[in-house]
Amino acid sequence: MGIKWRRALLEGLLLCFIFFVIFGPISSLVIWSIAIRWYWPHVLPQEIGLAYWKQALGLQRDWAIAAVSIWGAFGTSMLVALVSTALVMTMAIPAGYALARFRVPLKALILLLFLMPKAFPQQPIFVNLLPTFTKWGLAGTVQGVILIHILVCLIFGVWITTSAFKAIPQELEEAARSVGATRWRTFWRVLLPLAAPGLLVSTVFVFITSLTEFTGTFFIGLPFVTTLPMLLYSSSGYNMQFASVIAIVLLIPSLLFMVLIQRVFRPEYMGGIAG
Amino acid sequence: MPEVKLERVTKRYGKVTAVDRLDLVVHDGEILTLLGPSGCGKTTTLRCIAGFIVPDEGRIFLGEEEVTRLPPEQRDIGFVFQNYALWPHMTVFQNLAFGLQLRRTPKEEIRERVREVLSLVRLSGMEDRYPRQLSGGQQQRVALARALVLRPRVLLLDEPLSNLDAKLREEMRFEIRELQRQLGITAIYVTHDQAEALVLSDRIAVLNEGRLVQLGTPEEIYQRPANRFVAGFIGLSSFIEARVVEVEVETAVLETEDGIRLRVPRNALAEGQAVTLAVRPEHVEVLEGSPADPENAFRVEVIRAAYLGDSIDCRLRLGKWELRTQLPPGRVPPPGEALWIRLPREKLILIPA
Repeated sequence: MGIKWRRALLEGLLLCFIFFVIFGPISSLVIWSIAIRWYWPHVLPQEIGLAYWKQALGLQRDWAIAAVSIWGAFGTSMLVALVSTALVMTMAIPAGYALARFRVPLKALILLLFLMPKAFPQQPIFVNLLPTFTKWGLAGTVQGVILIHILVCLIFGVWITTSAFKAIPQELEEAARSVGATRWRTFWRVLLPLAAPGLLVSTVFVFITSLTEFTGTFFIGLPFVTTLPMLLYSSSGYNMQFASVIAIVLLIPSLLFMVLIQRVFRPEYMGGIAG
Repeated sequence: MPEVKLERVTKRYGKVTAVDRLDLVVHDGEILTLLGPSGCGKTTTLRCIAGFIVPDEGRIFLGEEEVTRLPPEQRDIGFVFQNYALWPHMTVFQNLAFGLQLRRTPKEEIRERVREVLSLVRLSGMEDRYPRQLSGGQQQRVALARALVLRPRVLLLDEPLSNLDAKLREEMRFEIRELQRQLGITAIYVTHDQAEALVLSDRIAVLNEGRLVQLGTPEEIYQRPANRFVAGFIGLSSFIEARVVEVEVETAVLETEDGIRLRVPRNALAEGQAVTLAVRPEHVEVLEGSPADPENAFRVEVIRAAYLGDSIDCRLRLGKWELRTQLPPGRVPPPGEALWIRLPREKLILIPA
């Protein structure tokens, strides 16, 4: 076995360990999702099966099983999350660059403004927004939900992006200008690759935040827009099996992103930036 | 022909004037050093020439062309930064090739020119390394190569050696000087290190508080400093303040407040004029016992002496003045010991007060 293989094996084991530490406590979700009958005082379910999974994935329809197909909600969630993330990042990257590099008047105030939706209890804000959204015809529409997600997510986008750009020394940009690169080309060839890890982190944050957002979706989207978290909340408490299935589905994107980040974070990007 | 010309360049930051009506001409093929303490405006000046900063007033020319408001990428300059500023996500080759690629140079030529410039800075074969895999000295050579590979009209260097250790710094001084001469490139070099400036420069421009204080060859600057600031900043100087009391045919006599009389060349001195004498350590002559010729010979007292290996650094008291000198290695005189010294009149530097 070559060193490469051993290294890959070690990395795999380490990743499994990290997964266990993070997801071990959540393993009860897995058990719940396959429990057909599970009554106190039994430690493990008396009867297990994939009935809830099948029903949730639309593979069977049985009125005795309290679950519905999640595909509609899954589609809505993905659509909302992808569109919100794309829009947030197209705003956050230029905004973050400008806030990091230029003397923007009232910079602190602008950054604080982005923080506002997070600094207050969310419910009053959304309740207050509802009449406006209704007036604009956005209440109960996917567009309305996307807009509210953008509002919630912009903070992660802008704050993390700003610090990602700030961490790149000004001289790296000036060096590119001095060898003949325009501001635009400097941005693409020097800044963007160096800021990539930070931008990726910020994108992941935004995506996950949007995917799991409940409060805003609840106030603005009801009753026509159903996302996975809405489905989850409406069934949790009395129907742990179905709720567990949805919770696990919501975890999948995070797992995929962990693998992605592990592949993208190369030492070339990290080393030497401070030098 | 002037390669770089600055006309009354001024840059203010709020109430502080970083560069104050600076006029400067850099000739074709020379290396000129902007020398001064931190905050004297030398880096601001260099960044104005590079185009990273637009001056508030004044004009900057590269050759015939006015570039005052031209963005840096259109100026045809090479810039070497204090912290190297190599792009960490690119290999050495990519760092050097970037500028050439922007100029649409054919691939084969890029490879050839990168190879050429790398051998010039003695880094052949390092093409595929990443900057973080290189030492500080190597990184600075790559940074130099990156600026040189484009064959710019002017090379601008902003304290390029100050992040290196003392020994390497000394080596690199000569290396940069050699490269500049070999390529015949016009260069402007910013430093606060007077030794570096003396070694490197064809001419030195001494700046203080945003103004040009003196411009000249290293010899001129060292031997005939224009004022007390230059005398104190470049080389070591001890100062004695005095007044002209007698003017004769060839010499004049100065007297200090505490009655020390010195004979100096007459120059353009007038009776009653106040002058400052700058005494370099190497101009203090230590005598064996009491001298036969009393001219400018004084009995002084050792304040303290420090053994430096190749010499003894000695502070002497002459009346109320303190003189610094270097004695040849040998016995370290204890504080309080009396010595005879002479200040040869032709070596004293006279600065009108």
